[in-house]
Amino acid sequence: MVDRPFGQTIQVRNLTKNFGGEDVLSGIDLTFEAGSFTALLGPSGCGKSTALRLISGLEPVSSGQVLIGDTDVTQTAPSARDIAMVFQSYALFPHLNVAENITFGLRVRKTNRSEREDKLRHVADLLGLEKLLDRKPSELSGGQQQRVALGRAIVSGKSIFLMDEPLSNLDAKLRAEMREEIRALQQKLGVTMIYVTHDQVEAVTMADQVVLMNQGRVEQCATPRDLYETPATLFAAKFIGTPPMVTFSTRVLAPDSTSNVTLGLRPEAVQIVSEGPITAMIDHIEYLGADAMLACATANGETVLCRASGSTRMTKGDPVSLSFAPADLHAFAADSGQRLQHIPPEIEAALSFQKPGLQ
Amino acid sequence: MTNSARLQWVYAWLLLSPALVLLVTFTHYPAIKSIIASFYSTARGKRQSVYIGLDNYHTLVADPVFWKVLSNNFWYAVWTIPLSIALSLIMALWVNEKLRGLAFLRMAYFTPTVLPLIAVANIWLFFYTPGFGLIDQIRGLFDLPEQNWMGSPNTALYTMIAVAIWKEAGFFMIFYLAALQTIPPSLRDAAAIEGASKVYFFRRVVFPLLMPTTLFVSINAVINSFRLVDHIFVMTEGGPNNASSLLLFYIYETAFKYWDTAYAATLTTVLLMILTVLAIGQFFFLDKRVHYK
Ligand SMILES: Nc1ncnc2c1ncn2[C@@H]1O[C@H](COP(=O)(O)OP(=O)(O)OP(=O)(O)O)[C@@H](O)[C@H]1O
Ligand SMILES: [Mg+2]
Repeated sequence: MVDRPFGQTIQVRNLTKNFGGEDVLSGIDLTFEAGSFTALLGPSGCGKSTALRLISGLEPVSSGQVLIGDTDVTQTAPSARDIAMVFQSYALFPHLNVAENITFGLRVRKTNRSEREDKLRHVADLLGLEKLLDRKPSELSGGQQQRVALGRAIVSGKSIFLMDEPLSNLDAKLRAEMREEIRALQQKLGVTMIYVTHDQVEAVTMADQVVLMNQGRVEQCATPRDLYETPATLFAAKFIGTPPMVTFSTRVLAPDSTSNVTLGLRPEAVQIVSEGPITAMIDHIEYLGADAMLACATANGETVLCRASGSTRMTKGDPVSLSFAPADLHAFAADSGQRLQHIPPEIEAALSFQKPGLQ
Repeated sequence: MTNSARLQWVYAWLLLSPALVLLVTFTHYPAIKSIIASFYSTARGKRQSVYIGLDNYHTLVADPVFWKVLSNNFWYAVWTIPLSIALSLIMALWVNEKLRGLAFLRMAYFTPTVLPLIAVANIWLFFYTPGFGLIDQIRGLFDLPEQNWMGSPNTALYTMIAVAIWKEAGFFMIFYLAALQTIPPSLRDAAAIEGASKVYFFRRVVFPLLMPTTLFVSINAVINSFRLVDHIFVMTEGGPNNASSLLLFYIYETAFKYWDTAYAATLTTVLLMILTVLAIGQFFFLDKRVHYK
């Protein structure tokens, strides 16, 4: 890590984008710390690319502000915002070779020849592109094209990198390699990175901070761990994790409950015990090798998932009793989807009543 | 040769023959026949056509009308080719940028191409007519005198050039428009991030990516500058005093008005040679600069 990051802080304030009368982004407020790696995560169409394009200035904002460092750049041209960008399709110039693609921006800015050559050599060396400099993009593999796009960003010497799903065209193995490479590079250069992805594994493994978006709004902005452990909304709870959190009504734990609360449990927090607060019957089993995912139908007809060892000999139709640590139980307001700090008292009571049975 | 190989051979020729027959009877045979005819005299009345070697070519070199129409054709090409290409490119860029999705407007540009050149010529006849033509009416608003654009030796050729450009630009625009729409918008974004101006982006990215289209369009433009003469029939008939006559029009006159078929064959041979040299030259010259995807 660099002592003082080279990157700059980015802030967006009340950022709104309207396309044809429809708010694609509504009132986004975010801070991206200098030198940090932020993933913008969310389902397709939630406005991730739009957010990135507003920050880059490629798309004008409908309202709100973008600040880089301490400067308001809302009306500044993209090229004057100190940003480099890597596009999903790489956006390599098909008629230029690798070297010309990488140095495109240097030529635009009329950097002198020897400096250009130096920078090109340095970047080619960094990314292992030395042997490919004379090739056209059409003569490169997907991974190599990706590297060239990365090279174009690095050579620009900008302090902010914006990436829009840069790995989505690569196969799984290459994606895992590039993930590490990009993360290492970001730390080495100390740039501020905003990385758009719809792949939660990418977001969680690479980022310092994950911004989870849904329908043009920020659902939650947190570290990967916080996002997983304390999802702020039902949407966040059900988006993160494979498989994601299972939610059910309070009647699973307290049959007479009428509270307007949705409860959630991660499958790995649920254990099979001799006598627990939930009695259920195994509905079906998904065998995953090391693990098996047991879908258990509760008495009132809902489903709770339980992650068991792959060696389990349980079968469909077996009765089970399920338990969990109270701290692993999440509660959300059923209407707004917001996380509740406290679980409803009748559930609390039901759990404490069951407690002796646990021991 | 085995039986099946022989059969394939027969099939190949059978499949080729329709195109081959048409090509040979209507293109190759007449071309060769013309070249041969250019070494013979024209048969007149009882006089048979006889071999006269290069006599026709000597006549041609000494023929002031030939040099006149050749120079006319040269200027005609020099103006129409670059102007129609440039105009079509500008229109395509404009339509692509500003009028995205307006198929109706695109059609409007294409109309001159759909119209037969004869009809186009009639429209322009109305523009040029001295006194009450559109141009003179506009000039009249500024108290400018009447002008006989097509009747004056100084301007006759340029009236023909204007018609040709008007006719061709819309046609070429369609090709440029199609090519422009294959350029991904992300390239523009990538260039904008790097701070490339519109002009820089056009010069370094768009124009090179349009090169295959430019090659295609320019070969067409060159051929058309020798081929499109229909409007001359309607508008000036080559006059006044051959001021607006072109090579092909002169060939037509020589062959079917003066019935000097041997001399027409000589002129045709020269035209063929010019076109061959231009097409080959253009292909080799431009091909090196073209990036094919
Ligand atoms: N230029 C545009 N004009 C009109 N609507 C647009 C435009 N660009 C995006 N949208 C709309 O804005 C919404 C968000 O689009 P955006 O591209 O930001 O989604 P995304 O989160 O990047 O999705 P994906 O993961 O599929 O890339 C979509 O509903 C889309 O239809
Ligand atoms: Mg997107």
